[in-house]
Formats: sequence, structure tokens, C-alpha cells
Amino acid sequence: MIPTFNLTGDMFLAERLSIKFGKVGPGDIVLLRSPESPRKVMVKRLLGLESHSVTYVVDPMNSDRCDTIVVPKGHVWVEGDNIYNSRDSRQFGPVPYSLLEGRVFCKIWPPKEFGSLMKSGMKDPDL
Amino acid sequence: MVGLIGRLWNLPYKSIVKEASGKTLAVTKFFCVLHITNTYLCTFALAYGPSMIPTFNLTGDMFLAERLSIKFGKVGPGDIVLLRSPESPRKVMVKRLLGLESHSVTYVVDPMNSDRCDTIVVPKGHVWVEGDNIYNSRDSRQFGPVPYSLLEGRVFCKIWPPKEFGSLMKSGMKDPDL
Repeated sequence: MIPTFNLTGDMFLAERLSIKFGKVGPGDIVLLRSPESPRKVMVKRLLGLESHSVTYVVDPMNSDRCDTIVVPKGHVWVEGDNIYNSRDSRQFGPVPYSLLEGRVFCKIWPPKEFGSLMKSGMKDPDL
Repeated sequence: MVGLIGRLWNLPYKSIVKEASGKTLAVTKFFCVLHITNTYLCTFALAYGPSMIPTFNLTGDMFLAERLSIKFGKVGPGDIVLLRSPESPRKVMVKRLLGLESHSVTYVVDPMNSDRCDTIVVPKGHVWVEGDNIYNSRDSRQFGPVPYSLLEGRVFCKIWPPKEFGSLMKSGMKDPDL
């Protein structure tokens, strides 16, 4: 999730109400349970809700080839901000909405980076 | 009028407040215990729909489901499980677990029309679930293997209707060892 979160570990607050009421949208950073390892929780950016059409770069290290997919019902598409080194929906596909655990809204450590996280960051889904 | 005010003035407010807060605290404690039990230990649910006939009836059976097995990873093929639907996040379904990760599952693709079987290896972190009534059940045959984290509980005891009260056998109609 570089550059939004550092390699060495940042602390942040995540709230759960948005998930329960369905108020998350593309551009939000979310906590989710990994579909591959049930005990692991990951932090990724939400890029598409159900029935959204998502365009993603398949293998940014080697080529510029893009692919478009329509997110199936009940699922979401998540990607890390650092697409060169991130295991996300490009590898394991869209994840069911129920795997979302929280929405990150505020970084609290390190102190000089304290503050609320902007919705878009580097990846603006409206561009 | 003066007597009323006088009586209001002389009410033992301290002990009323004390008693009220004591009772409120007791009720709050009760609901806390209930919530913790429901979330982490054991919950009951009402199932309706045809997908688990004959184990559960069409019109709704109540059963108890415990959550500890899921948290400790002690569920196995043959167990009836509660899981969140991967297609509708607000819906909870009851199905039978047929395969864990890296198990090879053979299933009948379309039992109404043909006898064609298909075999699939369940990917890592996922499970394969099917209803007992494969003729009328929306399960992993339609939406694929589901992530293990979607499991919510393991059904161990049916409590309604009373004449069908009792613990549910692991295999039922579908013995995965056959």
C-alpha cells in the first residue's frame, strides 16, 4: 500500500459502521479478510462495487496490458496502491462483500503523518 | 396541592435512583452476556426453503448453531454450516459442507436434466457447500467455492418442531465417504 502506508508498519483507525450500512464506495481504503488465508486481514483500496466495470493493469512489471471485468453481484474489487507488489483482486478475483471488516479513515502512527486519509490518494477512480 | 408538593419533596430519591440503576445494570449485564453468547458461542436460526429437504422442512425449522468450531477450524465434510451468501451479503444460508481446501469434490452439475458429474479441487482458504436437496438448491455448484471466512456457525441441534428435536447426524443423506 506504498505510498499511502509505509513498509515498516503504520497504525490507523478503521470504523465498522460504513460496512454494516453499505456506505463504502470506490476510493475507500478497507480492511478485509483474505480469501486465501482466513486468519489474515489485509488493507487494500476498494476500486469497484457490484456491477461496476473495473479496468486493471494485469502485470505492470512486464507489460501495459489492461483488462476489464464486471464485478459480480455481492462482490467488490480491491487493489493495493502499489500495484507492482500487491496481492489483490488481480490475483484472487473479486471478493464477497461480507469479507470486508472496516473502512480506514484516520492514520495515527507515525505522528508526523497523523491525519485523515483522503479518499483518492494516488489512484483516482474518476480519472 | 401543598400536600402533593410536600410528598414529592420528601420522596427518598437516593434510594429510588439506586434501585433503578441497579436494575438497569442487571438488565444491561444480561444483554451483554446474551450478545457475547450469540456472537461467539451459540446462536439459533430459522431456516426456510427447499434446499435442505429432507434434513430441514420447507416451512422453517429452528436449530442451534455453535460458533466455536468455525473459529478453531474444527469443521469437516458432512457438517451442516451457516454461511453468509456470497451473492447477497445480508443473507445467511444453511448448507452442508462437502469439501475443505485442497479436497477434490465430485458433484452432479444439473441433476434435473442429466447425470453428468464434474470434479473440482477446492482452492486454498475456500470450502465447498451443497444443499441436501440438490434438485432445488443454490449452492457452490452455482456460485463456486466460498471463502472460509464466510462460515458463521455449525449446526448441531434441531429444536423446532418438537417432534424432530435432537442432534443432527453428521452424514444425513449425503455420506461424503461413499
